[in-house]
Amino acid sequence: MKGSRCLHQLKSLRLLSHAGRLLPPAAGDNGALFRPRSSSQLGGLQCAQREVLRHFHSSPACTKGQPARFVQEEDKTRDKSLVTHDDLFEQVAKEAKTKATFNKVIDVYTKGDIRRRGHVEFIYAALKKMPEFGVEKDLTVYNKLLDVFPKEVFVPRNFIQRMFNHYPRQQECGVQVLEQMENYGIMPNIETKVLLVQIFGEKTHPMRKYQRIMYWFPKFKHVNPFPIPEQLPEDPVDLARFSLTRMANDWDAKVTVYQLPCTDVTESGAEVTLPHIVGIQSPGQMEALAKHNPDRPVFVEGPFPLWMRKTCVYYYVLRADPTPPEEKIEEPYDPERCLSYPLQLDLDLDRDLGDDESFDVEDLDEGPVFAMCMTSQGDQATLNQWISGLQESNPILGQIPTLFRLGAGPRELQGVGDADSASRSWFPSHVQREEAHPGEEAEAVVEEAEAVVEEAEAVVEEEPRRSQGVKQ
Amino acid sequence: SVSLCNTSQGCSAGFVSKVWKRDAHGYQQPLQCCDCFKDLRACFVLQAEVFPYPEIGNDELEEIKQLVAPVEKFFSDDVDSAKIDREATIPPETLQGLKDLGLFGIMIPEEYGGLGLSNTIYARLNEIIALDGSIAVTLAAHQAIGLKGILIAGNEAQKQKYLPKLASGEHIAAFCLTEPGSGSDAASIQTRATLSEDGKHYLINGSKIWISNGGMADIMTVFARTEVEVDGVKKDKISAFIVERAFGGITSGKPEDKLGIRGSNTCELSFDNVPVPVENVIGEIGGGFKIAMNILNSGRFSMGSSCAGMIKKLIELTSEYATTRKQFNKSLSEFGMIQEKFAMMALNAFVMESMAYLTSGMMDRPGIPDCSLEAAMVKVFSSEGGWICVSEALQVLGGLGYTKNYPFERFVRDCRILPIFEGTNEILRMYIALTGMQYAGKILTGKIKEMKKGNIGLAIGMVSKKLRASLGASVDLGLTGKDGVVHPSLEDSAKKLEQNVSLFGSTVESLLYRYGKTIVDEQLVLKRVADVLIHIYAMTAVLSRASRSISIGLRNHDHEVLLANTFCNDAFFKNNYWMVQLQKHSPENNDANIKKIAKQVLENRAYICSHPLERTY
Repeated sequence: MKGSRCLHQLKSLRLLSHAGRLLPPAAGDNGALFRPRSSSQLGGLQCAQREVLRHFHSSPACTKGQPARFVQEEDKTRDKSLVTHDDLFEQVAKEAKTKATFNKVIDVYTKGDIRRRGHVEFIYAALKKMPEFGVEKDLTVYNKLLDVFPKEVFVPRNFIQRMFNHYPRQQECGVQVLEQMENYGIMPNIETKVLLVQIFGEKTHPMRKYQRIMYWFPKFKHVNPFPIPEQLPEDPVDLARFSLTRMANDWDAKVTVYQLPCTDVTESGAEVTLPHIVGIQSPGQMEALAKHNPDRPVFVEGPFPLWMRKTCVYYYVLRADPTPPEEKIEEPYDPERCLSYPLQLDLDLDRDLGDDESFDVEDLDEGPVFAMCMTSQGDQATLNQWISGLQESNPILGQIPTLFRLGAGPRELQGVGDADSASRSWFPSHVQREEAHPGEEAEAVVEEAEAVVEEAEAVVEEEPRRSQGVKQ
Repeated sequence: SVSLCNTSQGCSAGFVSKVWKRDAHGYQQPLQCCDCFKDLRACFVLQAEVFPYPEIGNDELEEIKQLVAPVEKFFSDDVDSAKIDREATIPPETLQGLKDLGLFGIMIPEEYGGLGLSNTIYARLNEIIALDGSIAVTLAAHQAIGLKGILIAGNEAQKQKYLPKLASGEHIAAFCLTEPGSGSDAASIQTRATLSEDGKHYLINGSKIWISNGGMADIMTVFARTEVEVDGVKKDKISAFIVERAFGGITSGKPEDKLGIRGSNTCELSFDNVPVPVENVIGEIGGGFKIAMNILNSGRFSMGSSCAGMIKKLIELTSEYATTRKQFNKSLSEFGMIQEKFAMMALNAFVMESMAYLTSGMMDRPGIPDCSLEAAMVKVFSSEGGWICVSEALQVLGGLGYTKNYPFERFVRDCRILPIFEGTNEILRMYIALTGMQYAGKILTGKIKEMKKGNIGLAIGMVSKKLRASLGASVDLGLTGKDGVVHPSLEDSAKKLEQNVSLFGSTVESLLYRYGKTIVDEQLVLKRVADVLIHIYAMTAVLSRASRSISIGLRNHDHEVLLANTFCNDAFFKNNYWMVQLQKHSPENNDANIKKIAKQVLENRAYICSHPLERTY
């Protein structure tokens, strides 16, 4: 009923889309090639529509004979030897690895042999090559790949065939295509279903796989409460703004750009690149910082990695140690606080155990985080700039000793392309860093926090030491 | 055990003591039993002050009649409410008329030039005054809160100096408490009064918002922070000051553009080094908190009669329409759904009246009775009932009611302020419920502790009592029967009240058992406790009033009996439903879900469901 209606609609849709697709490829091909291909596709579909039961093959007789000429012209190496399908892709890839060339290879294959000999191997090879051509997330390509299967041949026609695994290799291959789609998070569409029904029939393994995907994928589609956009912002400031907001997850948190990235030329002619400094702080954090005991130091820590899809960014936090229990003072109850009703009852009765839901495994005292920032240059000088920026809105920072506990940048996370710059600096790979700052590099401080805490006051001005982590 | 309640201390003394102390006196012989539930019940029901319904003397009644007639005439002839609403100001001649009638000093004693009337007459006058929301609010801001501080806590010199001019309306008063950062939170009052070097003046600095009469007031009661030395430690405490606009340094902002009560003047006031002589401190320095609380608590009781007066007027206005307008050859009044609206309006007016005059009657008793709890209950009930009635009255007229050709839309707008000002209903519910809980807790703590320790005898006693109650054993608090205070025509309703009170006692006990003092944080629970209390008080008031009406044979007392029985029946089911919700694991109780929904919505600050037209594939 619904399925058959969809099938019917889909077939007519495909007819249209094929008709629409005729022109662009024709521009590159010669006329001889163009005519038979279009007629074969149109004809094939019409056949499938009208004579589903009679024909096992979707290709009608009228196209026979054409492929031979096509192959000769198109691909001479192929019929000479036992070329593997990998090679077919390699040959095409010499020009460019794009969707167009990938499609061309499939076209070449489907036109090449009416019997689609070795289509299972071809599909496996194509699946493997998809990421290389950058089409691993393209649903139309998957559908096109499924279209390589001959139609109706593998559909079981009696109960014995249905009972046993009919054409296991083909079914397995079909499942593999769907599996790869699943791995890349590509949701099949109704066209996929029509193809699978045409190729394998209802209630076969690929169909089951399709149904399972269609069951789970929609359920998982919005399961992440903190979705990351497909395209991350390019600009490092925007990226920092986005990632900080995401981490803070506080509607009131305010992002401040303490410094925009810019390049200056000093009087001596040397180029100075100023790193961007973007920080975030919420009113709650400001309040907590204002109440912080100025005798206890606050720490600037980092860099900590944050993965946003395939990009890793680094952030720094301003935090303090958890307040020791003896310093925690509960605000005394002021009976003259509320004009309207008693804020506390004068009763000697506690909550009953059965209604005490205060236990919380996540309630760990890790010490407050007062602010976060991201910068392209995580040395003490830059971070100090952040702290002095913070000080404008948090005057108490002027009285609190600030310690820098900066760790070595996580080198192992760097991309292959950045290998040599990585050996030079400990900065995160995504950071665009000029080479003009040998001095600053020396300043990069990695302090062992424990050692420093004792000499709290002296630390801010402490002579920067070069840690063993600074250079490789 | 009742005497326990006298020990309430500190600020809670202001809240609790009087209300509960009273029933210690009102306790009746046959009811003296050691069961502590009964004490709790007694405090709501069997007060000597509740039964019989308070009456006023004949001469006072005459006085009222003489007073009411001219005021009624003035409001029907000389007050153009539509114009006041449209032009957002009360014309000076109207104000002068009010002054001439003495309405600016209703409760100021005669020796200071006021009318010196009782709370009851004040409530009666408010029925008429409430016909124009703007005037009602202007007058209330003037005398219910504005000058109340001088009246209740001022010294003789202050009274002599200020009250006569305030009573005549030559000076208008305002009450300045609310600040941008504070509503009920006294801790966030930022306005500060500092003693000048010569020690003769306080200099007040700060700003106050939403001050009714702020633009035209000459005398203001201002609350400000002052430094006070308590046991050698310097502390900030709130103090109350009488501030004259003539002292200088006071600027008032633009009047707020409001939804309703548009004729009343509401604006921001800012104080810039306003010099206030030390003799203008009300009470003692640092004692402002209690004064503010007392003023607020005593200002609320009149809302019941105001709303009742308004509803009575609405019934007159709409019933004419309903009986003349024809639909399908029938008049509107023959349709059940229209009839229901009128019955509801009558019921509400009746209950509000009963509650309001019961409360004012209790307040007029000798001594300084603290009826803040009762007043809060009257305020919550009548402001919400009033809102529903006004909107139903508008509904009777349909589209006509929605236009400015009729006064209903103005009533709707004016009425919307009632649940908001004089303490929002949410806050008053907290007050009502917590006051009750504090009282019950004092009595029940010992028993609950025993139970928690596993006192078997006590537990068995509890179980058997619950069993007996569930088997339908009737609860007898002595309202009915041979020595009963309720008229036999109301016996069924009185039984229902008794059942509610009895169940409420055990509900409160189980709540205290479950939450102890952390019940303060269970607002959804407290809301229901407050609602049950309000309805129990309303039932009591209605029964008391109707009983009296029958007994002395007032005109149409059968109608009162009908209303009383209908209301009690309705309230009985509502109370039972709320109390079922208060039980643990009750399926009717949706609190956890409600909190969860609110949390998710608030975390996202939006309605978070996907649009129904969205799809995932």
